[in-house]
Amino acid sequence: MDCVELQQSLAEVEDGSSVEQRAHLRGCQACSALVRELDLIVAAAGELRAADEPSPRVWNSIEIALRREGLIRSSRTGWPLVPSFRARWGAARWLVPAAAMLLVALGIYVRRESIPNQLAKQASVVTPAVSASDLDDADLMQEVAANAPAMKPQYEENLRWVNESIRDAQGAVDDSPNDEDARRSLMDAYQQKSMLFEMAMDRSLP
Amino acid sequence: MGTEVTATPRKRYNTNYLCRIPVSAAGKGDLTEPRQQQGTELSEAEAIERAKLGDAEAFQALYDKHKRRVYSLCLRMTANTAEAEDLAQEAFLQLYRKIATFRGESAFSTWLHRLSVNVVLMHLRKKSLPVVSLEETTQGTDEDSPKKDFGADDLALAGSIDRLQLQRAVDSLPPGYRTIFVLHDIEGYEHNEIAKIAGCSIGNSKSQLHKARMKLRDLLKMNRAEKAGKSRAG
Repeated sequence: MDCVELQQSLAEVEDGSSVEQRAHLRGCQACSALVRELDLIVAAAGELRAADEPSPRVWNSIEIALRREGLIRSSRTGWPLVPSFRARWGAARWLVPAAAMLLVALGIYVRRESIPNQLAKQASVVTPAVSASDLDDADLMQEVAANAPAMKPQYEENLRWVNESIRDAQGAVDDSPNDEDARRSLMDAYQQKSMLFEMAMDRSLP
Repeated sequence: MGTEVTATPRKRYNTNYLCRIPVSAAGKGDLTEPRQQQGTELSEAEAIERAKLGDAEAFQALYDKHKRRVYSLCLRMTANTAEAEDLAQEAFLQLYRKIATFRGESAFSTWLHRLSVNVVLMHLRKKSLPVVSLEETTQGTDEDSPKKDFGADDLALAGSIDRLQLQRAVDSLPPGYRTIFVLHDIEGYEHNEIAKIAGCSIGNSKSQLHKARMKLRDLLKMNRAEKAGKSRAG
């Protein structure tokens, strides 16, 4: 067996353990180095398994899709809810998801309408609804501050980011009313906000 | 697939908020503390049963447990972060849509992993990329021919290989080689399994794997030689 044959044989017997391979490797430093190097590569390859973390965007998109498809059906019954949160909201707590649904419907409206200039102006006119959402944000933050003050910074941060994105996406829609990407971004932003409200309602607060 | 999953546009507009909402806000009962600290971590079996009932937390528990493996597989096989994220998303969604049919005959991770591989291979086929080269064991290009290699010491691979360099080298492989290398050496599939998955012969799988490893060796040596050259020049 020469070097060329040895290298060809490694496809079938990877570790150089056959009788012929061992005989050749005993006398060939280059091929011995080759086998060692290939072993190093195989050993290092295992470290690449599960080496990377997906961005949070992946889970967020999955959860949105699951909710849209109705695959997430039950709220967590095992989680204790904060009685005072629901008691204090009472009937008014339905305003929170209702406001969120309004936001989503707004996003759907912006997305589905083919918006000539007149409608583009209308889309800008609905901006006051953002003020209504600000009011809901304030109500929500008030309740979080009262019932779970430790989580207030988290909610504030999330609301800030999603409102900023709504404003950015709205601006893009105003600039280019017929841009599908812009409308999709706006709808996604509303969905994210809706998800935040829903999380606050569905998930437990300590 | 009944519902089209729309990948979030990320090129022109500020969609960074989607990354800014931390995972902990998306599914944990306590937004500031991981569930484990509450001493009620879901076992995989529990999570599967609760996911069948539509429990949001169960879905996320399964996702958290397997996300790295699935995503890494997608990333290694596509060498593209955006594609890998979309494919990982698709794999989990397919899993969740079918979870009611999971009966536990095989390990859940095995089921998920095989599903993920199929999602990626389908994607590669749609892009008309060769999943596995059709060349048989006895054929090959001059570039793939075995060489007498008496590389100098500074070209020899040292006792260990830098993980990042290996990642980059794998990303540089031709798609057919990369698929086989990822499936066999990274993910641990046997050649008979790869042959079934990729629709090739066992001999072809072995041949492609060997060529992939040889190519990686060359890439790593080139990288090492470049660095050695730069340090000598500097």
